Amino acid sequence: MMRSSLLSVTNSAWLFLVMSGFACSQEAKQLGADFFEQRIRPILVDHCYACHSEAAGEQQGGLLLDRQAGWLEGGESNRVVVPGEPESSLLVKAVRYEDSELQMPPEEKLSNEEIRWLEHWIRGGAPGPVNDLGETKFSRLGDQAYLFDQAKSHWAFQRIRRITPPNAEFHGWNQSSIDRFVAADLKADRLEPSPVADPKTLVRRLYYDLTGLPPTMQQCRSFIDDYQIDSEQAVTELVDSLLASREYAHQIARMWLDVARYADTDSFYRPDTRTPHYFPFAFAYRDYVVEAFHRDKPYDQFLKEQLAADLIGFDADSPEIAALGFYAVGPHANRAQEESLDDWIDTSMRGLMGITVACARCHDHKYEPVPTADYYALRGVFASLNRVDPLDEKQLPKLDGYSPTTDAISDYEEKRAAIDKKIKEAAGKKVGGNNLPVPLKIKETELAELLLFHPGAPTHAMVVTEKSKPPASFVFVRGDAGVKGEEVPRRFLKVLDPMQSAFPEDSSGRKQLAEKIVDPMNPLTARVFVNRVWGQLIGSYLVSTPSDFGLQGSAPSHPELLDWLAADFIDHGWSVKSLVRSIVLSQTYQQDSLNRDAMAKSDPMNLKLWRANRKRLSIEELRDSVLAVSGELDLTPRGRPGELWGEGYTRRRAIYGYINRFNLDPTLRAFDFPSAMQTQPKRDESIVAPQALFTLNSPLIIEQAAAVVAKQGFQECNDDEGRVISIFANVLQRRPTALEMKRVLRFVDQQKILVQKPANAAHFRDAPWELVVQSLLMSNEFQYVD
Amino acid sequence: MWIKENTSRMMPIFSRRELLQSTSLGGLALAGLLANSTDGSGAEKEPYESPLSQKPPHFAPKAKRIIHLFMNGGPSQMDTFDPKPQLNHLDGQPLPDSVLQQLQPTQRNRAGNIFGSPFKFSNHGESGLPVSELYPHVAKHVDELCVIRSMQGEIANHTPGLLLTNCGHSTLARPSLGSWLLYGLGNESDELPGFVVLCPKGLPTAQSRNWTSDFLPGIYQGTHIDTETSGKQLVPNLTREDIRPGTQRAQVALTQFLNRRHSLDRPGDERLESQIHSMELAFRMQSAGTDAFDLSQEPESIREMYGDSVQAKNLLIARRLAERGVRYIQCYHGAGQPWDHHAAIVNNIRRMAKESDQAIAALLTDLKQRGMLDETLVIWGGEMGRTPTIQETKDASKIGRDHHIDGYTIWLAGGGFRGGMAYGATDELAMAVVEKPVMLADFHATVLHQMGFDHKRLTYRYSGRDFRLTDVQGRVIHDILA
Repeated sequence: MMRSSLLSVTNSAWLFLVMSGFACSQEAKQLGADFFEQRIRPILVDHCYACHSEAAGEQQGGLLLDRQAGWLEGGESNRVVVPGEPESSLLVKAVRYEDSELQMPPEEKLSNEEIRWLEHWIRGGAPGPVNDLGETKFSRLGDQAYLFDQAKSHWAFQRIRRITPPNAEFHGWNQSSIDRFVAADLKADRLEPSPVADPKTLVRRLYYDLTGLPPTMQQCRSFIDDYQIDSEQAVTELVDSLLASREYAHQIARMWLDVARYADTDSFYRPDTRTPHYFPFAFAYRDYVVEAFHRDKPYDQFLKEQLAADLIGFDADSPEIAALGFYAVGPHANRAQEESLDDWIDTSMRGLMGITVACARCHDHKYEPVPTADYYALRGVFASLNRVDPLDEKQLPKLDGYSPTTDAISDYEEKRAAIDKKIKEAAGKKVGGNNLPVPLKIKETELAELLLFHPGAPTHAMVVTEKSKPPASFVFVRGDAGVKGEEVPRRFLKVLDPMQSAFPEDSSGRKQLAEKIVDPMNPLTARVFVNRVWGQLIGSYLVSTPSDFGLQGSAPSHPELLDWLAADFIDHGWSVKSLVRSIVLSQTYQQDSLNRDAMAKSDPMNLKLWRANRKRLSIEELRDSVLAVSGELDLTPRGRPGELWGEGYTRRRAIYGYINRFNLDPTLRAFDFPSAMQTQPKRDESIVAPQALFTLNSPLIIEQAAAVVAKQGFQECNDDEGRVISIFANVLQRRPTALEMKRVLRFVDQQKILVQKPANAAHFRDAPWELVVQSLLMSNEFQYVD
Repeated sequence: MWIKENTSRMMPIFSRRELLQSTSLGGLALAGLLANSTDGSGAEKEPYESPLSQKPPHFAPKAKRIIHLFMNGGPSQMDTFDPKPQLNHLDGQPLPDSVLQQLQPTQRNRAGNIFGSPFKFSNHGESGLPVSELYPHVAKHVDELCVIRSMQGEIANHTPGLLLTNCGHSTLARPSLGSWLLYGLGNESDELPGFVVLCPKGLPTAQSRNWTSDFLPGIYQGTHIDTETSGKQLVPNLTREDIRPGTQRAQVALTQFLNRRHSLDRPGDERLESQIHSMELAFRMQSAGTDAFDLSQEPESIREMYGDSVQAKNLLIARRLAERGVRYIQCYHGAGQPWDHHAAIVNNIRRMAKESDQAIAALLTDLKQRGMLDETLVIWGGEMGRTPTIQETKDASKIGRDHHIDGYTIWLAGGGFRGGMAYGATDELAMAVVEKPVMLADFHATVLHQMGFDHKRLTYRYSGRDFRLTDVQGRVIHDILA
């Protein structure tokens, strides 16, 4: 948009040139391109090109001085050269250092001679280079007309195609459409798929991918038995039973919470008490997400509720109202309002549609077809929302369906009454040092902690509400809230809605926004989600930039497969379970993960999926697995968060762990858990020593290793060999090899000898078997899934 | 077994394993082997590389590490390193209205009369640079200091100033300088985090946003340590008390035995080797992490030189971390914004300077005597400066100075900066920069340059574009480099 107006400037500039040519004909003759090359280019090369040329990859201030169009159109400060009129040309002003705000080159003023040459050049019509570059891709950065033109043919903005899968030439690869697409690509690259993984590998993989937990030895055995009778039926039955369990919902919900940058606190704390600003009721949103996946709520409905539950018929006592936590649990405290709005825009656009809009806050997007007006159209939507105080129990809707025990309730009420009394007594008092009210302090600390952690406390939904009168939205010039530009109505992105139809004036327009996002004709929403699920299950993404499907994003490795998955997802009523099922039942998914040199040579990154990807456990999976093998894992769903591994840690699944956004737990951080400061495209995978310290020294691992030894199965063993077998079965779901048996027994014997020496008694804990269990928990085999 | 897998790809791993099994997992030899191993098979597969493994910068660096002494709150420039005798002449008089207009609106409305510095300046060292009586110890090092008097901020408040100084943007969330350095250089120390933030008694204003990695991977984030407590916070789960190291060594060996069996059946997955390596590092980290914070290991003379104060402890730990390869150590004076002297500046700034003067001088001496100062960049400064006027107050005994961003002072020492020089200048009323303005982007560009980076090429692709610390600004100030 900006560029097109500049283009018209170009035309008028040329007109101007012609006219001024007449006007100035007495003073200067028209110069030619040779003059530019001989006299002007050297000055520009020496002093300007570092910041204003394509060769240097810089166009600071939007200005290029390596082509005529560059100086004629000018940069953000407008026209730089007016041919024939040095005195009107910004360039001359800048090099003369006339204006203290605009002095170029910034390092040092040009010599008088150089300045005179530049003036002479402009007076003579400012001719361009012999081989003028004209418009190039580089000069068109930020050229929205050009970017919109590019968008017309960009794959992600095209309608989702419905493609008939080709026939596969590999045996057994014709049943699933997924396999047929993958097979065609493999064939084209002369790659061969891997054989199906053995049942032991398969059962472990399915348990982890679908539930985030390991199977027990018993579950492995029964699957392998079934598999030997009818492999296909065994897999199908296992998949269906896992999908039906709540553990599936826990697993996939965690993926969604990364997108929704979920946390139980805000990003700031009270300096005087060093307590974070708690979100005592954020967990209601987390529970909503788990429940939605458990019941296989259609994904389009799932999104609509999160964006606008209050506007699509759910009132304050519907459980769905908790979906609004999608916005309410975002980071907020002490941020300028602009930052919260930016978070809401970014989470909605990048998280749900893989389109980066936030860049358009200060200027038209340089790389994507997103003009500034789009940003402020969306800002208008979110600026029409009230964020309800996270501690405001009156305004936050109360949720039923949580039934604490009567004991818990009465304990809560007792503690609550004491705190309320304290607040009352502190009325009017101020905290020394910061002069803030004492009642607020008690509310933000003791009361908030009680509400967040006490099992008997009532539950509320964390929500946003509509402002009674949505404010008008204006472009902020260069992102500065102090400089209002044009008014923009609330509406959807221009690239997806060329008509730019405005949302109703009397509401925020969240409902309309939600409808635009989940419209089956929207080319992004379904593609982005199926890619996330695919990445989670396969271990690599079809589009390797899961939150960026724009012009700058990666192209899909399997574009037709991506479209088929998206179309099939929509056709199956946006059923996430159906999507997951179709992926894990494919041969592609069920392949062996072993490396094969011949294939690795031509496709080392396994982009074409000639094998399964070996996956590393996430920190949540690792922690839950430890509790699972020790038998202490508590599968109770819903409710308030608990400590993951600190003092008095919860035995519940990691998704119920307390996430402190203000100061993210260092162990979580070490294991690539997202910061929850913005929507997370995907988890990084790093291997750093603090991760190993967790398995070496954390009280959780040490205690749970002891719990494995305390289990009945181990205690009933009669001899050391039996004990080794029991531990291997429990932790790794397999028998030890002869060598492993020997090695473990040697370790145990050594420990026994050490402990027996009386002098050592004080230093050695008599716990060789616990150390063996922990050794297995620390092993790669435990932490990787083939 | 090896014969079965004897393919060209397996050969180097084969020999590596052979060595693994023949060494007693001594650690160092193994670490070196793994770090330096190359896959000689010619296959294009990228080996797994830890995001923290060391990387070379763009060109040979002058500085290898940074100790940033952050006087959070905004120290007064005209009471420390930028003398303004004219203010003393005009002390007590109102600012001319035309000059008053130069102040930011928020400060303008409550600006009182001109307030000359109550602290005496004198010239020091061969360079003769003036330093106020607040810093008698630091003054002895003046020939090492490169004093920039023309710093310009953007918004005259703490959070924007801190974020601009640390992360390059006043309002938007961006990765911090330390995170960029760690991203660019990797971690020199195998045993300690590469970016450590020391702050006694809590967090500075803007809290963890000061050392956020933001969109850079989380492992590049700074590790905050409250130096009032123990170093065990440095790394969680650092040690285990209930068994002896020898027992744990044997236990790790058992795990590594299992790991090697496991890897043998799964050739070509570099991550598995990396995990083995990582476990060895973790084992060694246990002693190194505790060690760095154990000041009792310092000789009495050194502890005396730093003095007996919170700042002394802070800075001595900083030096120990620097010695152990930590790239970027940020030392905040204290929680909140202790240098924010709106009121009672005379007593407060005296107290702040007294708390830190001896320790800062000791740090410079200590680094120098160890031959580390050349390669260690020490930065002193806050997130802004203060007004030449008093902030309007009813109580004359409690006068202070307000926030000021057009012309405040920082200094740098070591790390290839020119000592004994002042760069840039403010006008005689300390209202505005009149010579050689330095924006934070210029400061960042110059610091990155000394660390071996072209600030324009240290970029990270996020949300569809390449980001850098200096965004679209920044120029290296060569005049202040040795």
